[in-house]
Amino acid sequence: MLVFWGDLVHYLYFVIAGIIAFFLVKNLFKREKRNGLVYDIVYAYCIIPFVLRILFIK
Amino acid sequence: MSNETTAKAPVAFKTKVILLIIMAIIAFFAGKEFWELRHYKETFVASEDLTQVKWLSDYLPSLKGTWADTPIYVFDSGVEGGSVFVMGNVHPYEPASSITTYVMLENIHVTTGKVFIMPQGNFSGSTMGSIGGAYPKYVHIETEWGEKTYKIGSRESNPLDQWPDPFTYVHYPDGQNLAYQDIRNMNRTYPGREDGTLTERAAYAVMEFIRREKIDISIDIHEASIMYPVVGTYVAPDSSIDIAMMAAMTLSDSVFDMKCEASPKSLKGLSHREWGDYSDTLAFLMETPEPFIDRITGPITENLMLYGMDEFLVKAAEKGLVYVDYPVSYWGVEGEPMWYRVGRHLSGALEAINWTGLFYDDKAVEVTWPTYDDLAENGLGYYLHDPALAENIDRVQVVYHKPVSVNN
Repeated sequence: MLVFWGDLVHYLYFVIAGIIAFFLVKNLFKREKRNGLVYDIVYAYCIIPFVLRILFIK
Repeated sequence: MSNETTAKAPVAFKTKVILLIIMAIIAFFAGKEFWELRHYKETFVASEDLTQVKWLSDYLPSLKGTWADTPIYVFDSGVEGGSVFVMGNVHPYEPASSITTYVMLENIHVTTGKVFIMPQGNFSGSTMGSIGGAYPKYVHIETEWGEKTYKIGSRESNPLDQWPDPFTYVHYPDGQNLAYQDIRNMNRTYPGREDGTLTERAAYAVMEFIRREKIDISIDIHEASIMYPVVGTYVAPDSSIDIAMMAAMTLSDSVFDMKCEASPKSLKGLSHREWGDYSDTLAFLMETPEPFIDRITGPITENLMLYGMDEFLVKAAEKGLVYVDYPVSYWGVEGEPMWYRVGRHLSGALEAINWTGLFYDDKAVEVTWPTYDDLAENGLGYYLHDPALAENIDRVQVVYHKPVSVNN
């Protein structure tokens, strides 16, 4: 049973990583505040670890 | 301020796409590094004495297909005697431990009893490394026929296989609170749990292996930072401390300084504590000096891993802040070189086995592999064989978390 719950939490976190990655991409292209180039760079950069996580690379 | 930021003209869509592409390229190159280490397959040329390959999942089927499964190589002399288990890379950022087992695997000859060798104790941990901390991925050992490449892994299991960590790790079954990341530290999870986390299950499978195979002598090979007191030593519980003491005295008298520490009863989850408490085996843990993992060093490079020379540690040694002779000097090279650390483990394991046989006739195992003196004379690479030679091709073994054809 513990293995099941452990696996459930494990995959839940992957889903959460996917949701965060989605919102980072969304906010990169469509946001109302802080429209400067520096914020674009930060958003684009922050997407990397989430994408690597979803792809089971890091 | 808010009005100021909202008043800025939005960056063009095309620029954002270009930024995303640039980051994707960076992600590709970063990801490639992680991917290569994750899937790197170490190989060795097995000694002609190899009789069987078992898997950790043979002792706990839920490990099959996971990244915690790992091969166990069996050398059965066919002559009645004791049994020995040698485990490397429970902490895969201590590669002298796995390299020691590879030297054993390539050169072992058993005449009495059985020897079981597991080169990658925490296979998952061996697939991660500390690349994010600018650590090298591999260590290369020079041989007469070329270079042999080994992984530099991580201390803990890969978060890709066990994630997230809790806020506090509560050890099973004792309930002792440990650091959160230690839930992925195999040497804090013994005796393990059949239905626990991946690392707890791997630890449980090791315990099951020791119990089912009735292992008499279990040796867990590690490395330690030289500013940590438990370095250059055996660590043993009550049941094997006398043997470890005799082995340490013999080595210190004739080959190199070796200490002996008693396993603390109150610190839970460690092999030298739980292996003996949850089975009848005589447990030994061995530590060699590994400056690579000290906290005060300069650049963390492959040279530091291979030779162990660091100017900051020299200063620390001058002030009496290290717990081993540092730097040692051989062949004009100063530091704590890889051959020296591997040689210490090879002779340290043999001495523990030999003394166990003297204490208990029924646990005697007669086994040979290269010793510290052999490595001092010929170097480490001399004992790693060329897998491309015709006479070796059939004996090449691939160490991975699942069976792999040598022709892949």
